[in-house]
Amino acid sequence: MFDYDFLVNLLSAMVRNATPIAIAAMGAVVCERSGIVNIAMEGIMTVGAFTAAIVAGATGNPWIGLLAAIVFGGIFSMLHAFATVNLHLNHVVSGAVLNVLALGITAYLMIIIVGHPGTTDSIPVSLSAYRWAIPVLSSIPLVGQMLFNQTPIVYFGFIMIPLFTWFLNRTKVGLHVRAAGEHPLALETIGVSVYKMRYLGVLVSGLVGGMAGAYLSIEGNVSFTEGMTGGRGFIAMAAMISGGWHPVGAFVAALFFGLADALQVRFQVFQVLNVPEELFIVLPYVLTVVAVAGLVRRSRPPKAVGTDFMIERTQD
Amino acid sequence: MAQPILETRHIVKQFPKVLANDDINITLNKGEILCLLGENGAGKSTLMNVLYGLYKPTAGEIFIDGKTVEFSSPRDAIDRGLGMVHQHFMLVDTLTVTENIILGSEPGKGPQIDYKAAWKQVKELSDRHGLRIDPDAKIMNLSVGLQQRVEILKALYRQAKILILDEPTAVLTPQEVEEFFTVVRALRDNGVSIIIITHKLEEVKAISDRVYILRGGKVEGERTTADVSKEDLANLMVGRSVVLSVEKKDHPVKPNPVFQIEDLRVTDDRHIPVVDGLTLDVHPGEIVGIAGVDGNGQSELAEAIMGLRPVASGVLNHEGDDIKNLTTKERIHRKVSYVPSDRHRYGLVLPFTVAENIAIGYHDRAPNASAHGWRLEYGAMASRAEQLITDFDIRTPGPLAPAGNLSGGNQQKVILARELTREPSLLVVNQPTRGLDVGAIEYIHSQILAMRDQDVGVLLISLELEEIFGLADRILVMYEGRIVKEFKTGETDEREVGLYMTGGKKEQSA
Amino acid sequence: MSASKNTQSTGMLPRLLSPAIVLLGAAGTVLWLGATMSGGETFYFWGIWLIAAAGALYLWRYRMLNGPAEFKDHLHRAGRTMAVPIMGVTLAIIIGGVIMLLTGYDPFEAYGAMFFGGLVRNWHISVLNAAPLIFTALSVAFAFKAGLFNIGAEGQYYLGAMAATWLSLRIAMLALVTIPLVFVFAGLLGAIWMIIPAFLKVRTGAHEVITTMMLAHTARYLSPIFIRANGGDPADSTHPYVTDKILESSILPRLQEFLPNANYRVHTGILIAIVVALLIHYILYHTSWGFEIRAVGENKDAARAQGISVGKNIFRALLIAGFLAGLAGFNQVNGLDHRLYENLQAGYGWNGISVALLAAGNPIGVVFTGLLWGMLDAGGQFMARTTSTPSAIVEIVKGTILFLVVARYIYTAIGNIRRRRQRERAAREQIAEDARQEA
Repeated sequence: MFDYDFLVNLLSAMVRNATPIAIAAMGAVVCERSGIVNIAMEGIMTVGAFTAAIVAGATGNPWIGLLAAIVFGGIFSMLHAFATVNLHLNHVVSGAVLNVLALGITAYLMIIIVGHPGTTDSIPVSLSAYRWAIPVLSSIPLVGQMLFNQTPIVYFGFIMIPLFTWFLNRTKVGLHVRAAGEHPLALETIGVSVYKMRYLGVLVSGLVGGMAGAYLSIEGNVSFTEGMTGGRGFIAMAAMISGGWHPVGAFVAALFFGLADALQVRFQVFQVLNVPEELFIVLPYVLTVVAVAGLVRRSRPPKAVGTDFMIERTQD
Repeated sequence: MAQPILETRHIVKQFPKVLANDDINITLNKGEILCLLGENGAGKSTLMNVLYGLYKPTAGEIFIDGKTVEFSSPRDAIDRGLGMVHQHFMLVDTLTVTENIILGSEPGKGPQIDYKAAWKQVKELSDRHGLRIDPDAKIMNLSVGLQQRVEILKALYRQAKILILDEPTAVLTPQEVEEFFTVVRALRDNGVSIIIITHKLEEVKAISDRVYILRGGKVEGERTTADVSKEDLANLMVGRSVVLSVEKKDHPVKPNPVFQIEDLRVTDDRHIPVVDGLTLDVHPGEIVGIAGVDGNGQSELAEAIMGLRPVASGVLNHEGDDIKNLTTKERIHRKVSYVPSDRHRYGLVLPFTVAENIAIGYHDRAPNASAHGWRLEYGAMASRAEQLITDFDIRTPGPLAPAGNLSGGNQQKVILARELTREPSLLVVNQPTRGLDVGAIEYIHSQILAMRDQDVGVLLISLELEEIFGLADRILVMYEGRIVKEFKTGETDEREVGLYMTGGKKEQSA
Repeated sequence: MSASKNTQSTGMLPRLLSPAIVLLGAAGTVLWLGATMSGGETFYFWGIWLIAAAGALYLWRYRMLNGPAEFKDHLHRAGRTMAVPIMGVTLAIIIGGVIMLLTGYDPFEAYGAMFFGGLVRNWHISVLNAAPLIFTALSVAFAFKAGLFNIGAEGQYYLGAMAATWLSLRIAMLALVTIPLVFVFAGLLGAIWMIIPAFLKVRTGAHEVITTMMLAHTARYLSPIFIRANGGDPADSTHPYVTDKILESSILPRLQEFLPNANYRVHTGILIAIVVALLIHYILYHTSWGFEIRAVGENKDAARAQGISVGKNIFRALLIAGFLAGLAGFNQVNGLDHRLYENLQAGYGWNGISVALLAAGNPIGVVFTGLLWGMLDAGGQFMARTTSTPSAIVEIVKGTILFLVVARYIYTAIGNIRRRRQRERAAREQIAEDARQEA
């Protein structure tokens, strides 16, 4: 049972399961580093998944679907930015409301466009058709299949790790984003707009959140089903926290969540150990609690995350 | 003749309730160190924020190099060669020294930061000005003195020709102050023009070439430092006639103190000692006034007395017992009353009604609650509140109006009504009249005096010397966490007290 | 001030009125909630009349006790607090209607069906929906009052449901004994599930939003294990698992037992929910515990300065919130399902957040917003069945209502900015005026 093929399959499944979580988590990292708590990731992913399936179905081209998902995820996230930055709404409240709104909008548009609730029609070509085994690399034993024989969005997820790390740690704007989440006034006093940086942070999470949603509907699947995000937006939050608000950490944490998911499916099928498979799903959540409890050292949120920032100070 | 680099003409800044700057004209010459001396609320910080583009002036003009400029954001000010070191540092703790310095003006082509170049520039800059620093250190691992150095480098990195330092020595140790002075002089010699905002006479004398004295939002005078004595400066800064009209009767003081503090030490949130070996006593029937400039440990002292801040060492003796380890609740029930300085933050729960705000603290006792303290008796609360509304002349629609709807003076009266009617044996009052109008001030003063006349021991902390002189029987001057001088009210004047307050003269009392 | 002078001079009448109001209100509520449209129409309208009568009597009594001036003030205050939610709901319904128009549906037909379905025809479903929502929303609202956000009510709800099932499968005693026991046990487990977030919040400052959310997911995924251990058999049904049916003695009485015309599914859970809401209102506004919790929620620093322990009250508030969410599980298991389904018609915990937000954390308000939410769901389903309009429009209306109501801060923010502008303009004019006079 635990033979070589099993292991290879398990690892590939781990990466596939982890991809939407990891992408969303890395977006959430940028968002929270800019100082905005984004529990609307779930809603953003729903919007992305839905848009991707509809557009890919209508055009017959999954790439256009992916693009649409990214754009609409971004647009939807702007609601969150507007509510939290300009209206100074509590970040958690705004996120909770947007999650409700996302469910409603997609379910309604589904009927309008598709004509029935539940599941959209299958798209003609899914992104998984563009699976690409990188020559030579994909034949590396064990990890070759996992890392180098994957579908497009999985690769995008890989690319995002160095990209986001570079963005946050090496670029000018990245530095500003980090400062906005740590000490917004310090940023404002040297003449960089905190509002803009926070809008940017939310926008990034919206764009990649849309992509994460697209993975679910047009790469891991061929249609959109209501409720298909299945709490992955929240799991992404958990991955972000466990990963210490860092893209690499978030990805690793997401991999762990993906592994737990892959294992629980296999344990359910094979009944190998006398352990309830659900314990594997639960483990990441429990570890997240342990992480925020301060037992893991580096898991410290950005100092000013979740705080409101008003530019105009009226009193001395 | 010196060449002016920065000039303000008729700067006015009106806040909703206060006129913070009233027709300010100052001139900064190239390559000089200029001090702006003034008490709290004199308008110094407002002026600097106007200069730095954080506030828009209500009226007036700013000139740099003879040309009029208008700043709509700090960015504009920075571009014109202004640099500012805020009293509360604007540094991002988790970033490195280099990152903080280059923030907003990063070197490098395209989107990427050229960290190597940045490192080099920072190193070079710090070498040139003799400001030694490790460019790779994280801010959170640096001492306050070094953090200030980073702030200065941050300004210099942006090619500041004019450097504004807001209360630069407030957070430094004496050794760090010495080093800081050296740095500032070196900067001047390198051609930087410097404005230092301060309320410390010593500092003015030690470092500045010229000094403007601000009072009540206006320029009170301009002096060349070498030609002016500390006494004159103190006079200009705080000197004014007492206009208080509250009548103070002689009242015998009881011989046995109700409250004694021995060698009290308290640290602030960053573990820096702020009350540093303070000793005092308060007798029933007297008002002990603590005079001092803001930030010398007065609020921490009050909080330590009330159990809101841990005591590092020392004794708080209330009626024979050390109350140091009691909870706030226990202290309140021992009849220690407290009027905090920030009434919105510590004094009142604004959305609560007047009646609830009067009951809070004793809310689980009869008559506010049933005998076992579980059920609240709103009827009793309201009728008691109504009584106090009459007694203290609180202008409110009724006992059930939210405290947040009342004016500042009436809010303060609610706090007084609560605290004074608990028959305290010790009353700690911190800046009771901050931001209030004359009528309310008079009323509150008369109430505090009435407490004294009922043999309550009153500890009055105030930044207003007028208030201290009008009310206190004894004046203790607090400076850098210690009592540096004790006076009998009749035997001194504001000038002398002001000199001790600002560190112009020191004498450790027993 | 003159009004409250009358407080002392209360006659006999108001005192006699109180029990009358309570009786009328209670009777009306039971009749109304228990009515069905299969022979219970008269009850339905009688119920509404009785409630209206109780309301009128209450107002009359208030006027007698406090005088006409204070009465007017009271009405004004009530009007102001109600204005934003009512405006939000109205506006959202209009927006929903416009969306329907634009997408080719008839909003009048759709709304007609929705309100008829939710308020009349399928009223019993609205009531069934509302009961668990009221419990979870009370939980969220209670935490709100302490300035905390219990976003994981769903988890405590699951724990409560598991606890209720476990005990209800095991103790066979008199219903009178069993039911209170299960009630308390379900609440306790909900509270125990909250100990970790509460402890972490007080000790390390770990944010309750994250900890409760993670524990909510944990609880949800633990439930299948529990269900398999209590009769859920993977062999004959994979998903969703179901436990055995709970013992007869632990089933909540149905309304039918004393209202013959009530729908057979409607149980006393809704009445318990309302009583608990009143109790929570009492705790919050009439006890020293509630006083301290609210003080901590509104201003930690001032509360601390008056000797109120912040940590103790946060702990207390979160545990009570956990207890309340646990009761929602009790309601579902012992009232409606009589067994634990794996998915429990999940989401009552999450939806409770919306219901609590909408009521601005007011426990009495939660009863109404809970009924509104339950009504919208039931009505939406009815609408989808009888007209061609998708029920999802209800979700959009719900989301819009929420946004417009929580964005009440929009209104205050706009007000603040306008006031500040006015003040600044006045100040500038004053200065100009001064300058003119000096010149």
